[in-house]
Amino acid sequence: MTDTSTRALAARASRPAVRPRWQRALVSFAYFAIPIAAVIGIWQLVTMLNPPAPFFPQPFAIIANLWDLLFGSPKAVQQVFYGEFLQTVGRMALGFAIGAVWGIVIGTIMGLWRGARETINPIVEFLRSIPATATLPLFIILLGGGNDMRVVFIAYGVSWFVLINTSVGVGSVHKTLLDVGKVFKISPARRLFRILLPGAMPKIFAGLRIASTAALLLAIVSEFMLATDGVGYMLVQAQGRFQLLNMWSWMLALAILGLIINSLLEWIEGRLLGWHRQSKSRA
Amino acid sequence: MTDTTTVQPALVVDHVSHVYGSGASAHHAISDLAFSVQPGEFVSIVGPSGAGKTTLLRTLAGLLRPSEGAVIVDGNRISGVPAGMAMVFQDYSRSLLPWLTIEKNVGFPLEGKKVTKAEKKAIIQESLEAVGLGGFAKRYPWQLSGGMQQRVAIARALAYRPTLLLMDEPFASVDAQTREGLEDLVLRIRDTYGMTILFVTHDIDESVYLANRVLVLSRPPARLAEDIAVNLPEPRDQITTREDPEFIRLRGHVARLIHSGGEPE
Repeated sequence: MTDTSTRALAARASRPAVRPRWQRALVSFAYFAIPIAAVIGIWQLVTMLNPPAPFFPQPFAIIANLWDLLFGSPKAVQQVFYGEFLQTVGRMALGFAIGAVWGIVIGTIMGLWRGARETINPIVEFLRSIPATATLPLFIILLGGGNDMRVVFIAYGVSWFVLINTSVGVGSVHKTLLDVGKVFKISPARRLFRILLPGAMPKIFAGLRIASTAALLLAIVSEFMLATDGVGYMLVQAQGRFQLLNMWSWMLALAILGLIINSLLEWIEGRLLGWHRQSKSRA
Repeated sequence: MTDTTTVQPALVVDHVSHVYGSGASAHHAISDLAFSVQPGEFVSIVGPSGAGKTTLLRTLAGLLRPSEGAVIVDGNRISGVPAGMAMVFQDYSRSLLPWLTIEKNVGFPLEGKKVTKAEKKAIIQESLEAVGLGGFAKRYPWQLSGGMQQRVAIARALAYRPTLLLMDEPFASVDAQTREGLEDLVLRIRDTYGMTILFVTHDIDESVYLANRVLVLSRPPARLAEDIAVNLPEPRDQITTREDPEFIRLRGHVARLIHSGGEPE
Protein backbone atom coordinates (compact mmCIF):
# COMPACT_ATOMS: atom_id res chain seq x y z
CA MET A 1 0.00 0.00 0.00
CA THR A 2 2.74 2.42 1.01
CA ASP A 3 4.58 1.18 -2.00
CA THR A 4 1.85 2.20 -4.44
CA SER A 5 1.43 5.60 -2.85
CA THR A 6 5.12 6.38 -2.99
CA ARG A 7 5.13 5.31 -6.61
CA ALA A 8 2.19 7.61 -7.29
CA LEU A 9 4.00 10.46 -5.58
CA ALA A 10 7.15 9.75 -7.52
CA ALA A 11 5.15 9.69 -10.75
CA ARG A 12 3.58 13.04 -9.91
CA ALA A 13 6.91 14.61 -8.94
CA SER A 14 8.62 13.55 -12.14
CA ARG A 15 5.74 14.57 -14.40
CA PRO A 16 7.07 18.00 -15.52
CA ALA A 17 10.10 16.44 -17.24
CA VAL A 18 9.56 12.87 -18.38
CA ARG A 19 13.01 11.34 -18.72
CA PRO A 20 13.77 8.41 -21.01
CA ARG A 21 13.45 4.96 -19.50
CA TRP A 22 17.18 4.25 -19.14
CA GLN A 23 17.73 7.55 -17.35
CA ARG A 24 14.97 6.80 -14.89
CA ALA A 25 16.43 3.32 -14.31
CA LEU A 26 19.83 4.90 -13.71
CA VAL A 27 18.41 7.41 -11.24
CA SER A 28 16.53 4.76 -9.27
CA PHE A 29 19.64 2.58 -9.23
CA ALA A 30 21.67 5.52 -7.95
CA TYR A 31 19.17 6.13 -5.16
CA PHE A 32 19.62 2.51 -4.17
CA ALA A 33 23.37 2.15 -4.64
CA ILE A 34 24.82 5.44 -3.39
CA PRO A 35 23.73 5.19 0.27
CA ILE A 36 24.89 1.57 0.42
CA ALA A 37 28.21 2.41 -1.22
CA ALA A 38 28.63 5.30 1.23
CA VAL A 39 28.08 3.07 4.28
CA ILE A 40 30.45 0.41 2.95
CA GLY A 41 33.03 3.05 2.07
CA ILE A 42 32.98 4.63 5.53
CA TRP A 43 33.08 1.23 7.18
CA GLN A 44 36.00 0.18 5.01
CA LEU A 45 37.89 3.39 5.78
CA VAL A 46 37.32 3.19 9.53
CA THR A 47 38.41 -0.46 9.72
CA MET A 48 41.48 0.25 7.57
CA LEU A 49 42.58 3.26 9.62
CA ASN A 50 41.86 1.67 12.95
CA PRO A 51 43.15 -1.89 13.11
CA PRO A 52 42.51 -4.25 14.66
CA ALA A 53 38.71 -4.47 15.01
CA PRO A 54 38.03 -8.21 15.33
CA PHE A 55 34.22 -7.88 15.65
CA PHE A 56 33.90 -5.69 12.57
CA PRO A 57 35.93 -7.07 9.66
CA GLN A 58 36.56 -4.95 6.59
CA PRO A 59 33.59 -5.03 4.21
CA PHE A 60 35.73 -5.96 1.22
CA ALA A 61 37.13 -8.84 3.23
CA ILE A 62 33.59 -9.98 4.04
CA ILE A 63 32.62 -9.90 0.34
CA ALA A 64 35.79 -11.70 -0.73
CA ASN A 65 35.34 -14.29 2.01
CA LEU A 66 31.74 -14.94 0.99
CA TRP A 67 32.81 -15.50 -2.59
CA ASP A 68 35.51 -17.87 -1.33
CA LEU A 69 33.07 -19.73 0.90
CA LEU A 70 30.53 -20.29 -1.84
CA PHE A 71 32.52 -20.49 -5.06
CA GLY A 72 36.21 -20.60 -4.00
CA SER A 73 36.76 -24.16 -5.18
CA PRO A 74 34.70 -26.92 -6.84
CA LYS A 75 34.45 -28.49 -3.41
CA ALA A 76 33.12 -25.25 -1.92
CA VAL A 77 30.50 -25.01 -4.63
CA GLN A 78 29.47 -28.59 -3.98
CA GLN A 79 29.45 -28.49 -0.20
CA VAL A 80 28.68 -24.94 0.72
CA PHE A 81 26.71 -23.44 -2.15
CA TYR A 82 24.62 -26.54 -2.80
CA GLY A 83 24.97 -28.15 0.63
CA GLU A 84 24.21 -25.15 2.83
CA PHE A 85 23.01 -22.12 0.92
CA LEU A 86 20.58 -23.85 -1.41
CA GLN A 87 19.32 -26.00 1.46
CA THR A 88 18.09 -22.87 3.15
CA VAL A 89 16.65 -21.47 -0.06
CA GLY A 90 14.91 -24.77 -0.76
CA ARG A 91 13.19 -25.21 2.60
CA MET A 92 12.28 -21.54 2.64
CA ALA A 93 10.71 -21.73 -0.83
CA LEU A 94 8.84 -24.94 -0.05
CA GLY A 95 7.57 -23.66 3.29
CA PHE A 96 6.56 -20.39 1.70
CA ALA A 97 4.69 -22.15 -1.11
CA ILE A 98 2.81 -24.49 1.23
CA GLY A 99 1.99 -21.68 3.64
CA ALA A 100 0.84 -19.41 0.81
CA VAL A 101 -1.48 -22.01 -0.72
CA TRP A 102 -2.88 -22.91 2.69
CA GLY A 103 -3.36 -19.25 3.56
CA ILE A 104 -5.09 -18.48 0.27
CA VAL A 105 -7.44 -21.47 0.63
CA ILE A 106 -8.48 -20.76 4.22
CA GLY A 107 -8.50 -16.99 3.63
CA THR A 108 -10.81 -17.45 0.63
CA ILE A 109 -13.20 -19.59 2.66
CA MET A 110 -13.19 -16.94 5.38
CA GLY A 111 -13.70 -14.15 2.87
CA LEU A 112 -16.59 -15.93 1.19
CA TRP A 113 -18.70 -17.03 4.12
CA ARG A 114 -19.47 -14.91 7.08
CA GLY A 115 -20.20 -17.99 9.20
CA ALA A 116 -16.77 -19.44 8.44
CA ARG A 117 -15.12 -16.09 9.11
CA GLU A 118 -16.76 -15.68 12.48
CA THR A 119 -15.98 -19.26 13.48
CA ILE A 120 -12.36 -19.29 12.34
CA ASN A 121 -11.42 -15.72 13.25
CA PRO A 122 -11.03 -16.18 17.03
CA ILE A 123 -8.81 -19.21 16.43
CA VAL A 124 -6.73 -17.30 13.91
CA GLU A 125 -6.41 -14.28 16.19
CA PHE A 126 -5.31 -16.47 19.08
CA LEU A 127 -2.83 -18.62 17.20
CA ARG A 128 -1.18 -15.79 15.33
CA SER A 129 -0.65 -13.92 18.61
CA ILE A 130 1.86 -16.59 19.53
CA PRO A 131 5.15 -15.44 17.98
CA ALA A 132 5.82 -18.01 15.25
CA THR A 133 9.40 -18.45 16.46
CA ALA A 134 8.08 -19.50 19.87
CA THR A 135 6.35 -22.51 18.33
CA LEU A 136 9.61 -24.02 17.08
CA PRO A 137 10.16 -26.21 20.20
CA LEU A 138 6.65 -27.62 19.75
CA PHE A 139 7.29 -28.43 16.09
CA ILE A 140 10.55 -30.15 17.05
CA ILE A 141 8.74 -32.32 19.60
CA LEU A 142 5.94 -33.14 17.18
CA LEU A 143 7.94 -33.66 13.99
CA GLY A 144 11.54 -34.23 15.06
CA GLY A 145 14.63 -32.34 13.99
CA GLY A 146 14.53 -33.05 10.28
CA ASN A 147 13.87 -31.04 7.17
CA ASP A 148 10.11 -31.77 7.19
CA MET A 149 9.77 -30.10 10.55
CA ARG A 150 11.50 -26.97 9.26
CA VAL A 151 9.32 -26.77 6.17
CA VAL A 152 6.11 -27.21 8.21
CA PHE A 153 7.32 -24.64 10.73
CA ILE A 154 7.99 -22.08 7.98
CA ALA A 155 4.65 -22.84 6.29
CA TYR A 156 2.82 -22.38 9.58
CA GLY A 157 4.44 -19.06 10.40
CA VAL A 158 4.04 -17.70 6.89
CA SER A 159 0.42 -18.70 6.38
CA TRP A 160 -1.07 -16.08 8.73
CA PHE A 161 -0.03 -13.12 6.64
CA VAL A 162 -1.47 -14.64 3.48
CA LEU A 163 -4.59 -15.92 5.23
CA ILE A 164 -5.58 -12.60 6.75
CA ASN A 165 -4.87 -10.59 3.63
CA THR A 166 -6.73 -13.05 1.41
CA SER A 167 -9.73 -13.00 3.72
CA VAL A 168 -9.84 -9.20 3.69
CA GLY A 169 -9.19 -9.07 -0.06
CA VAL A 170 -11.91 -11.56 -0.99
CA GLY A 171 -14.34 -9.89 1.40
CA SER A 172 -13.69 -6.48 -0.12
CA VAL A 173 -14.45 -7.40 -3.74
CA HIS A 174 -17.34 -5.09 -4.61
CA LYS A 175 -20.83 -6.57 -4.53
CA THR A 176 -21.58 -5.23 -8.01
CA LEU A 177 -18.84 -7.43 -9.47
CA LEU A 178 -20.40 -10.47 -7.83
CA ASP A 179 -23.78 -9.45 -9.25
CA VAL A 180 -22.18 -9.20 -12.70
CA GLY A 181 -21.06 -12.82 -12.36
CA LYS A 182 -24.52 -13.97 -11.31
CA VAL A 183 -26.43 -11.96 -13.93
CA PHE A 184 -24.36 -13.40 -16.78
CA LYS A 185 -24.75 -16.88 -15.33
CA ILE A 186 -21.05 -17.43 -14.76
CA SER A 187 -20.51 -20.70 -12.87
CA PRO A 188 -19.50 -20.44 -9.19
CA ALA A 189 -16.05 -21.89 -9.92
CA ARG A 190 -15.43 -19.30 -12.62
CA ARG A 191 -16.76 -16.57 -10.38
CA LEU A 192 -14.12 -17.60 -7.83
CA PHE A 193 -11.20 -17.76 -10.24
CA ARG A 194 -12.16 -14.98 -12.62
CA ILE A 195 -13.73 -12.40 -10.28
CA LEU A 196 -13.02 -13.01 -6.61
CA LEU A 197 -9.38 -14.04 -6.63
CA PRO A 198 -8.21 -11.49 -9.22
CA GLY A 199 -10.13 -8.82 -7.32
CA ALA A 200 -8.45 -9.87 -4.09
CA MET A 201 -5.01 -10.19 -5.71
CA PRO A 202 -3.62 -6.78 -4.67
CA LYS A 203 -4.29 -7.63 -1.03
CA ILE A 204 -3.07 -11.21 -1.42
CA PHE A 205 0.17 -9.94 -2.91
CA ALA A 206 0.72 -7.52 -0.06
CA GLY A 207 0.41 -10.56 2.23
CA LEU A 208 2.83 -12.59 0.11
CA ARG A 209 5.44 -9.83 0.31
CA ILE A 210 5.37 -9.85 4.12
CA ALA A 211 5.22 -13.65 4.11
CA SER A 212 8.39 -13.91 2.00
CA THR A 213 10.34 -11.88 4.53
CA ALA A 214 8.93 -14.02 7.32
CA ALA A 215 9.84 -17.21 5.42
CA LEU A 216 13.52 -16.29 5.30
CA LEU A 217 13.50 -15.28 8.96
CA LEU A 218 11.83 -18.52 10.05
CA ALA A 219 14.11 -20.65 7.86
CA ILE A 220 17.19 -19.20 9.56
CA VAL A 221 15.72 -19.47 13.06
CA SER A 222 14.71 -23.08 12.39
CA GLU A 223 18.31 -23.82 11.42
CA PHE A 224 19.60 -22.53 14.73
CA MET A 225 18.20 -25.61 16.45
CA LEU A 226 19.10 -29.25 15.80
CA ALA A 227 20.18 -28.52 12.23
CA THR A 228 23.02 -30.13 10.32
CA ASP A 229 22.99 -27.81 7.35
CA GLY A 230 21.74 -24.47 6.07
CA VAL A 231 22.85 -20.87 6.45
CA GLY A 232 21.38 -20.62 9.96
CA TYR A 233 23.45 -23.62 10.98
CA MET A 234 26.58 -22.11 9.42
CA LEU A 235 25.95 -18.87 11.28
CA VAL A 236 25.74 -20.61 14.64
CA GLN A 237 28.82 -22.69 13.82
CA ALA A 238 30.83 -19.63 12.86
CA GLN A 239 29.78 -17.84 16.00
CA GLY A 240 30.67 -20.88 18.17
CA ARG A 241 34.11 -21.11 16.61
CA PHE A 242 34.61 -17.38 16.75
CA GLN A 243 34.95 -17.21 12.96
CA LEU A 244 33.67 -13.67 12.78
CA LEU A 245 34.55 -13.15 9.15
CA ASN A 246 32.47 -16.18 8.19
CA MET A 247 29.63 -14.97 10.38
CA TRP A 248 29.58 -11.62 8.62
CA SER A 249 29.80 -13.30 5.24
CA TRP A 250 26.73 -15.40 5.95
CA MET A 251 24.83 -12.34 7.10
CA LEU A 252 25.75 -10.69 3.82
CA ALA A 253 24.60 -13.78 1.92
CA LEU A 254 21.21 -13.52 3.62
CA ALA A 255 20.91 -9.83 2.83
CA ILE A 256 21.56 -10.58 -0.84
CA LEU A 257 19.07 -13.46 -0.75
CA GLY A 258 16.43 -11.21 0.80
CA LEU A 259 16.97 -8.59 -1.89
CA ILE A 260 16.71 -11.17 -4.66
CA ILE A 261 13.46 -12.58 -3.26
CA ASN A 262 11.98 -9.14 -2.87
CA SER A 263 12.86 -8.04 -6.40
CA LEU A 264 11.52 -11.32 -7.75
CA LEU A 265 8.17 -10.77 -6.05
CA GLU A 266 8.14 -7.15 -7.14
CA TRP A 267 8.68 -8.25 -10.71
CA ILE A 268 5.88 -10.82 -10.57
CA GLU A 269 3.62 -8.28 -8.92
CA GLY A 270 4.36 -5.75 -11.63
CA ARG A 271 3.36 -8.24 -14.32
CA LEU A 272 0.28 -9.50 -12.49
CA LEU A 273 -0.97 -6.29 -10.94
CA GLY A 274 0.00 -3.64 -13.46
CA TRP A 275 -3.72 -2.90 -13.83
CA HIS A 276 -4.04 -2.20 -10.14
CA ARG A 277 -1.14 0.19 -9.85
CA GLN A 278 -2.07 2.06 -12.99
CA SER A 279 -5.78 2.27 -12.24
CA LYS A 280 -4.98 3.60 -8.76
CA SER A 281 -2.54 6.22 -9.98
CA ARG A 282 -5.25 7.54 -12.30
CA ALA A 283 -7.96 7.69 -9.70
CA MET B 1 -54.24 -6.55 -24.96
CA THR B 2 -57.34 -6.23 -27.08
CA ASP B 3 -55.72 -8.32 -29.76
CA THR B 4 -57.18 -11.78 -30.17
CA THR B 5 -53.80 -13.29 -31.02
CA THR B 6 -52.33 -12.55 -27.60
CA VAL B 7 -48.59 -12.23 -27.52
CA GLN B 8 -46.92 -13.81 -24.52
CA PRO B 9 -45.57 -10.97 -22.36
CA ALA B 10 -41.78 -10.75 -22.07
CA LEU B 11 -42.17 -10.09 -18.38
CA VAL B 12 -44.95 -10.32 -15.86
CA VAL B 13 -44.61 -8.90 -12.38
CA ASP B 14 -47.30 -10.79 -10.50
CA HIS B 15 -48.23 -9.03 -7.27
CA VAL B 16 -44.66 -8.77 -6.00
CA SER B 17 -43.91 -7.53 -2.51
CA HIS B 18 -40.54 -7.19 -0.93
CA VAL B 19 -39.81 -6.78 2.75
CA TYR B 20 -36.33 -6.30 4.19
CA GLY B 21 -35.92 -7.66 7.70
CA SER B 22 -38.79 -8.67 9.92
CA GLY B 23 -40.74 -7.60 12.97
CA ALA B 24 -40.79 -3.96 14.03
CA SER B 25 -37.71 -3.01 12.00
CA ALA B 26 -39.10 -4.50 8.78
CA HIS B 27 -38.86 -2.23 5.76
CA HIS B 28 -41.58 -2.72 3.16
CA ALA B 29 -39.76 -1.73 -0.03
CA ILE B 30 -42.32 -2.94 -2.55
CA SER B 31 -45.97 -3.68 -1.97
CA ASP B 32 -48.19 -5.71 -4.25
CA LEU B 33 -46.70 -4.46 -7.50
CA ALA B 34 -48.23 -5.82 -10.69
CA PHE B 35 -47.57 -5.01 -14.34
CA SER B 36 -46.49 -6.73 -17.51
CA VAL B 37 -44.17 -5.81 -20.35
CA GLN B 38 -44.64 -6.82 -23.98
CA PRO B 39 -41.74 -8.00 -26.14
CA GLY B 40 -39.86 -5.10 -27.68
CA GLU B 41 -41.29 -2.51 -25.32
CA PHE B 42 -39.11 0.16 -23.73
CA VAL B 43 -40.40 0.74 -20.22
CA SER B 44 -39.02 3.42 -17.90
CA ILE B 45 -39.44 3.08 -14.16
CA VAL B 46 -39.35 6.27 -12.11
CA GLY B 47 -40.30 7.14 -8.58
CA PRO B 48 -39.35 9.27 -5.59
CA SER B 49 -35.86 8.53 -4.30
CA GLY B 50 -35.82 5.54 -2.01
CA ALA B 51 -38.91 4.17 -3.74
CA GLY B 52 -37.46 0.71 -4.12
CA LYS B 53 -36.55 1.06 -7.81
CA THR B 54 -33.29 -0.81 -7.36
CA THR B 55 -34.98 -3.44 -5.19
CA LEU B 56 -37.50 -3.96 -7.97
CA LEU B 57 -34.82 -4.30 -10.62
CA ARG B 58 -32.77 -6.72 -8.51
CA THR B 59 -35.92 -8.78 -7.95
CA LEU B 60 -36.63 -8.85 -11.69
CA ALA B 61 -33.02 -9.89 -12.29
CA GLY B 62 -33.45 -12.85 -9.96
CA LEU B 63 -30.79 -11.48 -7.61
CA LEU B 64 -33.41 -10.99 -4.90
CA ARG B 65 -36.23 -13.36 -4.17
CA PRO B 66 -39.55 -11.55 -3.73
CA SER B 67 -41.15 -11.91 -0.31
CA GLU B 68 -44.49 -12.44 -2.04
CA GLY B 69 -45.64 -12.83 -5.60
CA ALA B 70 -43.76 -14.01 -8.65
CA VAL B 71 -41.74 -12.73 -11.56
CA ILE B 72 -42.53 -14.46 -14.84
CA VAL B 73 -40.11 -14.17 -17.76
CA ASP B 74 -41.22 -15.59 -21.12
CA GLY B 75 -43.95 -17.56 -19.42
CA ASN B 76 -41.71 -19.14 -16.79
CA ARG B 77 -41.78 -18.23 -13.14
CA ILE B 78 -38.17 -17.42 -12.22
CA SER B 79 -36.39 -18.88 -9.23
CA GLY B 80 -32.98 -17.38 -9.99
CA VAL B 81 -31.36 -15.30 -12.69
CA PRO B 82 -33.41 -15.96 -15.84
CA ALA B 83 -31.72 -16.94 -19.09
CA GLY B 84 -31.55 -14.34 -21.84
CA MET B 85 -31.52 -11.43 -19.44
CA ALA B 86 -28.67 -8.93 -19.15
CA MET B 87 -28.16 -5.98 -16.89
CA VAL B 88 -26.31 -2.68 -17.03
CA PHE B 89 -25.42 -1.48 -13.56
CA GLN B 90 -25.42 2.05 -12.26
CA ASP B 91 -21.83 2.06 -11.09
CA TYR B 92 -19.83 1.38 -14.25
CA SER B 93 -16.49 1.81 -12.49
CA ARG B 94 -17.39 -1.12 -10.24
CA SER B 95 -19.20 -3.27 -12.76
CA LEU B 96 -16.27 -3.68 -15.17
CA LEU B 97 -13.34 -5.93 -14.30
CA PRO B 98 -10.33 -3.60 -14.08
CA TRP B 99 -7.82 -6.42 -14.67
CA LEU B 100 -9.31 -7.31 -18.05
CA THR B 101 -9.01 -5.40 -21.31
CA ILE B 102 -12.13 -3.95 -22.90
CA GLU B 103 -12.49 -6.89 -25.29
CA LYS B 104 -12.15 -9.40 -22.47
CA ASN B 105 -14.68 -7.50 -20.39
CA VAL B 106 -17.12 -7.54 -23.29
CA GLY B 107 -16.49 -11.25 -23.86
CA PHE B 108 -16.86 -12.03 -20.15
CA PRO B 109 -20.55 -13.09 -20.29
CA LEU B 110 -19.56 -15.76 -22.83
CA GLU B 111 -17.18 -17.46 -20.38
CA GLY B 112 -18.04 -21.11 -20.01
CA LYS B 113 -20.75 -20.85 -22.66
CA LYS B 114 -20.85 -22.95 -25.80
CA VAL B 115 -19.27 -20.43 -28.14
CA THR B 116 -16.28 -21.05 -30.37
CA LYS B 117 -13.28 -18.75 -30.26
CA ALA B 118 -14.05 -17.30 -33.67
CA GLU B 119 -17.69 -16.70 -32.79
CA LYS B 120 -16.68 -15.07 -29.55
CA LYS B 121 -14.28 -12.78 -31.33
CA ALA B 122 -16.94 -11.79 -33.86
CA ILE B 123 -19.52 -11.13 -31.15
CA ILE B 124 -17.07 -8.96 -29.19
CA GLN B 125 -16.15 -6.96 -32.26
CA GLU B 126 -19.77 -6.48 -33.27
CA SER B 127 -20.81 -5.44 -29.75
CA LEU B 128 -17.97 -2.96 -29.46
CA GLU B 129 -18.81 -1.46 -32.83
CA ALA B 130 -22.48 -1.21 -31.85
CA VAL B 131 -21.47 1.15 -29.04
CA GLY B 132 -18.85 2.94 -31.13
CA LEU B 133 -15.80 1.57 -29.35
CA GLY B 134 -14.40 -0.61 -32.12
CA GLY B 135 -10.89 0.80 -31.71
CA PHE B 136 -10.62 0.38 -27.95
CA ALA B 137 -10.50 -3.41 -27.66
CA LYS B 138 -7.02 -3.56 -26.13
CA ARG B 139 -7.46 -0.75 -23.63
CA TYR B 140 -8.32 -1.15 -19.98
CA PRO B 141 -11.53 0.22 -18.42
CA TRP B 142 -9.68 2.72 -16.25
CA GLN B 143 -8.09 4.23 -19.34
CA LEU B 144 -11.50 5.33 -20.60
CA SER B 145 -13.85 8.14 -19.55
CA GLY B 146 -16.97 7.41 -17.52
CA GLY B 147 -19.27 7.58 -20.51
CA MET B 148 -17.04 5.22 -22.49
CA GLN B 149 -16.91 2.79 -19.57
CA GLN B 150 -20.69 2.69 -19.48
CA ARG B 151 -20.67 2.02 -23.23
CA VAL B 152 -18.37 -0.93 -22.55
CA ALA B 153 -20.89 -2.19 -19.99
CA ILE B 154 -23.62 -1.87 -22.62
CA ALA B 155 -21.47 -3.73 -25.16
CA ARG B 156 -20.93 -6.47 -22.59
CA ALA B 157 -24.68 -6.79 -22.15
CA LEU B 158 -25.10 -6.95 -25.94
CA ALA B 159 -22.49 -9.69 -26.26
CA TYR B 160 -24.73 -11.82 -24.06
CA ARG B 161 -27.45 -11.49 -26.73
CA PRO B 162 -30.26 -10.82 -24.25
CA THR B 163 -33.94 -10.63 -25.08
CA LEU B 164 -34.54 -8.64 -21.91
CA LEU B 165 -32.22 -5.84 -20.83
CA LEU B 166 -32.43 -4.27 -17.38
CA MET B 167 -30.73 -0.92 -16.86
CA ASP B 168 -30.31 0.48 -13.37
CA GLU B 169 -29.85 4.26 -13.52
CA PRO B 170 -27.09 3.66 -16.05
CA PHE B 171 -26.43 7.30 -16.87
CA ALA B 172 -26.74 8.76 -13.39
CA SER B 173 -23.08 9.66 -13.11
CA VAL B 174 -22.16 10.97 -16.56
CA ASP B 175 -22.35 14.58 -17.72
CA ALA B 176 -25.39 15.90 -19.60
CA GLN B 177 -23.92 15.79 -23.12
CA THR B 178 -22.51 12.31 -22.71
CA ARG B 179 -25.86 11.28 -21.34
CA GLU B 180 -27.72 12.44 -24.46
CA GLY B 181 -25.35 10.44 -26.62
CA LEU B 182 -25.84 7.36 -24.49
CA GLU B 183 -29.63 7.73 -24.53
CA ASP B 184 -29.69 7.76 -28.31
CA LEU B 185 -27.26 4.85 -28.36
CA VAL B 186 -29.65 2.78 -26.26
CA LEU B 187 -32.57 3.63 -28.55
CA ARG B 188 -30.51 2.66 -31.61
CA ILE B 189 -29.52 -0.62 -30.00
CA ARG B 190 -33.14 -1.38 -29.12
CA ASP B 191 -34.07 -0.87 -32.79
CA THR B 192 -31.19 -3.01 -34.06
CA TYR B 193 -31.54 -5.90 -31.64
CA GLY B 194 -35.26 -5.67 -30.92
CA MET B 195 -34.92 -6.44 -27.25
CA THR B 196 -37.21 -5.54 -24.38
CA ILE B 197 -35.73 -2.87 -22.13
CA LEU B 198 -36.57 -1.92 -18.56
CA PHE B 199 -34.89 1.31 -17.66
CA VAL B 200 -34.79 2.59 -14.09
CA THR B 201 -33.95 6.27 -13.78
CA HIS B 202 -34.47 9.20 -11.46
CA ASP B 203 -34.39 11.61 -14.38
CA ILE B 204 -37.99 12.45 -15.41
CA ASP B 205 -37.09 13.83 -18.85
CA GLU B 206 -34.99 10.81 -19.62
CA SER B 207 -37.78 8.43 -18.61
CA VAL B 208 -40.22 10.08 -21.03
CA TYR B 209 -37.70 10.63 -23.81
CA LEU B 210 -36.68 6.98 -24.03
CA ALA B 211 -39.77 4.98 -23.28
CA ASN B 212 -42.97 3.65 -24.78
CA ARG B 213 -44.33 3.50 -21.25
CA VAL B 214 -43.41 5.12 -17.98
CA LEU B 215 -44.21 3.32 -14.75
CA VAL B 216 -44.34 5.73 -11.83
CA LEU B 217 -43.78 4.17 -8.43
CA SER B 218 -45.08 5.65 -5.19
CA ARG B 219 -43.13 6.29 -2.00
CA PRO B 220 -42.23 3.06 -0.20
CA PRO B 221 -43.76 0.63 0.16
CA ALA B 222 -43.74 1.12 -3.59
CA ARG B 223 -46.97 0.61 -5.46
CA LEU B 224 -47.65 1.39 -9.07
CA ALA B 225 -48.85 5.02 -8.94
CA GLU B 226 -49.51 5.22 -12.67
CA ASP B 227 -48.77 3.40 -15.88
CA ILE B 228 -48.36 6.10 -18.53
CA ALA B 229 -48.28 5.40 -22.27
CA VAL B 230 -45.82 7.57 -24.19
CA ASN B 231 -46.95 8.15 -27.76
CA LEU B 232 -44.23 10.41 -29.04
CA PRO B 233 -43.12 10.23 -32.69
CA GLU B 234 -40.30 7.84 -33.53
CA PRO B 235 -37.40 8.09 -33.96
CA ARG B 236 -36.91 10.27 -30.92
CA ASP B 237 -34.74 13.34 -31.30
CA GLN B 238 -32.95 15.16 -28.53
CA ILE B 239 -34.20 18.55 -29.73
CA THR B 240 -37.54 18.09 -31.46
CA THR B 241 -38.88 15.40 -29.12
CA ARG B 242 -38.10 17.53 -26.11
CA GLU B 243 -39.93 20.49 -27.73
CA ASP B 244 -43.04 18.43 -28.47
CA PRO B 245 -46.01 19.72 -26.42
CA GLU B 246 -46.90 16.10 -25.64
CA PHE B 247 -43.40 15.55 -24.19
CA ILE B 248 -43.78 18.67 -22.05
CA ARG B 249 -47.23 17.58 -20.89
CA LEU B 250 -45.97 14.09 -20.01
CA ARG B 251 -42.88 15.24 -18.15
CA GLY B 252 -45.03 17.66 -16.16
CA HIS B 253 -47.47 14.91 -15.33
CA VAL B 254 -44.72 12.50 -14.21
CA ALA B 255 -43.01 15.23 -12.20
CA ARG B 256 -46.26 16.07 -10.37
CA LEU B 257 -46.82 12.42 -9.58
CA ILE B 258 -43.33 12.05 -8.18
CA HIS B 259 -43.45 15.26 -6.17
CA SER B 260 -46.70 14.19 -4.56
CA GLY B 261 -44.97 10.93 -3.66
CA GLY B 262 -47.07 8.95 -6.08
CA GLU B 263 -50.35 9.86 -4.40
CA PRO B 264 -53.12 11.21 -6.63
CA GLU B 265 -53.60 14.96 -6.17
